[in-house]
Amino acid sequence: MMTATWRWWRGILITFGVLAALRFVLPLPFMNEVLIFSIYTIGCNFLLGRVGFISFGQPAYLAIGAYGTAFYLFYFGTNPYLGILVGLAAGVIFAFIVGLLFVRLRSDYFALVNLALAVIVFYMFQKVLAGITKGDNGLWFLTNIASTPILNLSRPAEFFVFVMLLGVAIWAFYKYLDDTVFGACCLATKLNETKLEFLGYSNFRIRLTAFVIANSTTALAGCLYAIYLGFVSPEMTSPARTADPVVVTILGGVGSLLGPIVGTVVYTGLRDVASKFIGNWELFVGIILVFIMMSNSGGLYGSLEKLLNRWKRVNG
Amino acid sequence: MSEGSPLARRLSVEGLNVSRGEARVLFDIHLHLDANEIVSCVGRNGAGKSTLMKSIAGFLAVQSGRVTSDGLALSGLPPYEVARLGVKYVPQDKKVFSDLTVRENLELGSYATQDHNWDRPLTFFPKLKILMDRKAGFLSGGERQMLMIGRAILGSPKVLLIDEPTEGLAPSIVSHLKQVFTELSKSAAVLIVEQNLPLVCSISDRVYALKEGRLVAELTQRDQMKPKVCEDLL
Amino acid sequence: MSAQLLISGVIFGLSLASIYFLISVGLSLCFGLMRIISLDQLLYYSVGAFLAYTVSTLTGNFWLGLIAGVAVGVVLALAVERLIFRRIYERELTFSMITSFGILLGGIGAIKGIWGVVPKPVPVPFDNQISLFGTDIPVYRLLVVVLAGLVYGGIWLFLNRTIIGKAIRAGIEDMEHVEGLGINAARLFTITFVLAGALSALAGGLYAPLIMVDPHMGLEVLAFVFMVVIIGGLGSIKGTLYSSLLVGQVVSIGSLIYAPLAVMAPFAMMLLILLVRPTGLFGAALAK
Repeated sequence: MMTATWRWWRGILITFGVLAALRFVLPLPFMNEVLIFSIYTIGCNFLLGRVGFISFGQPAYLAIGAYGTAFYLFYFGTNPYLGILVGLAAGVIFAFIVGLLFVRLRSDYFALVNLALAVIVFYMFQKVLAGITKGDNGLWFLTNIASTPILNLSRPAEFFVFVMLLGVAIWAFYKYLDDTVFGACCLATKLNETKLEFLGYSNFRIRLTAFVIANSTTALAGCLYAIYLGFVSPEMTSPARTADPVVVTILGGVGSLLGPIVGTVVYTGLRDVASKFIGNWELFVGIILVFIMMSNSGGLYGSLEKLLNRWKRVNG
Repeated sequence: MSEGSPLARRLSVEGLNVSRGEARVLFDIHLHLDANEIVSCVGRNGAGKSTLMKSIAGFLAVQSGRVTSDGLALSGLPPYEVARLGVKYVPQDKKVFSDLTVRENLELGSYATQDHNWDRPLTFFPKLKILMDRKAGFLSGGERQMLMIGRAILGSPKVLLIDEPTEGLAPSIVSHLKQVFTELSKSAAVLIVEQNLPLVCSISDRVYALKEGRLVAELTQRDQMKPKVCEDLL
Repeated sequence: MSAQLLISGVIFGLSLASIYFLISVGLSLCFGLMRIISLDQLLYYSVGAFLAYTVSTLTGNFWLGLIAGVAVGVVLALAVERLIFRRIYERELTFSMITSFGILLGGIGAIKGIWGVVPKPVPVPFDNQISLFGTDIPVYRLLVVVLAGLVYGGIWLFLNRTIIGKAIRAGIEDMEHVEGLGINAARLFTITFVLAGALSALAGGLYAPLIMVDPHMGLEVLAFVFMVVIIGGLGSIKGTLYSSLLVGQVVSIGSLIYAPLAVMAPFAMMLLILLVRPTGLFGAALAK
């Protein structure tokens, strides 16, 4: 029925509607950044809020996607859409291979190993592969991006429209996931592994799938960054950056669908405002993080509990 | 029903309600221990016996109700404070510190209580003397139980909460423990949770029956305390 | 590769191992006893180094700087434990991970604010060399190794010969039983945490003359320390010792063969070990 469909889409459409409206109020660069960063965060949010895995290594996947796109545009072609596809493909493959190894680990080892991964990837792009990545200087390919029909991605205003559409699609996808058995399984895999196995599900496969989905989304955000900035550098996966998606996830509410967007707006806004006064990046992030964690009386998994109750009701 | 205000009691539990997660496990429990009594609490698996003991000892949060010992409130105190006040809990898991020797296990028992006189534990459990330098991880089930109790009685606790001590032990050890409990009750109030009904009936002064989280009966007459009676109650 | 190069590589690896060990042992203890991941140890490491820099520059005496570094690290760790960790011991593991990372990051920011971003040199207290097996080895590096060895000995004595150390070992196995004996859990936790902080600060101070002291030094070492901890297994001191030695050598010799190996090799090793033993070589199982 129309009303059911409307109710399903309501949250997403309203949020993106607000974002579209804000585009005319706030600076365009800010809005573009917010959109891309939100996409970056939703992967982390999904991993933490549904599967219960925290990853300090999101920047690694961001960088893989970004550099995939960058390589294509720098060395091969000029079509940004193809660039995105290449970067995304790289992200999916990388996430799959890494996931095969990582997903079996206990949550604390998982987090640490992902952190190590981010550092390794950083090192790879900065030094080891400096021949093709030009190391710290980064790759510049802004001029390489061709104009494309319908939406010219090389122009920020049209890029914004593209990312908006993409965003709606992505959020709809994650919302859809939530409603499926798969979504419920992800939750269950965190809360009661043994029961899930008894029910005939493979924890490993569920986690791997969730891992690949989440990190491919992150890689996609990397591709978008590459197109938007026309530039990539190893800095995007430097150790200082590993906390970004985690902070935003917590700010926006772990496990909440629209949380990444809210969290990103708040975070990016605060950062831009505060950097005029504090100028000290790490201090700012660190204090926010500790403050949020300490004041989080519902616990990090407070929102998770609500989801658990929903799952219980669904499954009787 | 026994008389006396809660202040006189070695241990007094009033209106205890405990939940684990969303599920309520204990409903409105009232029980008490007087000095030099052996009181048993019987019940089937899952009735809530261990939960009851853990709640008294401070390991589980209590939704409502009061636990006091000689008038001092125990509810809300961290477990080590409860132990310091002389209420010692001996868990069901037969776990000792496996990487430490028997001697070191006892040393830890002495540490907090400042009681370095090992006469009582060693008189009760002479076997421990031979096992002194053995790593506790290599002890048999019965030996571990002896060590656990030996450790706990250092510092002369006023109340001993012992959780299923005879589970899985050989009859000879069980009868040894029977004597130990009887001796212990001369200086402490002992609350034992057990499934071994004959044992319970032979040494207890009183028996509480716990069924699905509720106290369904309190047996105070010796002739009431027969295994059959308990079975029926549960 | 010449024998001399190899030998100096081994010594270099041993000194690296010493630094990794000092930080990792604290991380492992904190996990084993309190079930927290204390990423902020890297902050005390940095603080140890920066205080060593400031005080040794002011007084001209490196050792005073080292002591100052450890002292401030201890005070900071105590404050953090009291104010923050004490409230979150009961929570999920990931909670402490995120919180401690926040502390680390915030601390780095504070260091940046106080000392600025320019890397600072700390003069080596003595730059003599001695000849070992036909190779010239800096004495200071050997001293670092010796000191780490002494610390290991000290930790061993503490854990095996003192009652508090035994209580900590018992607590790593089963904290409930320790509390049941009337032993003050809160105090045990504080002692362990502060000890870890002291060791991390010591590592920072000791390492300072061998590198340039900069605000991000904690983050640079972070990945390696984690690889050590993961390989050795969280909660095992013995495991930490072995894996520090292993990673130290791999990084050192690896970088002699082919520079990027310094990072790739330990990482690959970690992955291999995790494949076979998902909790590391000697990892403690998490009692859920």
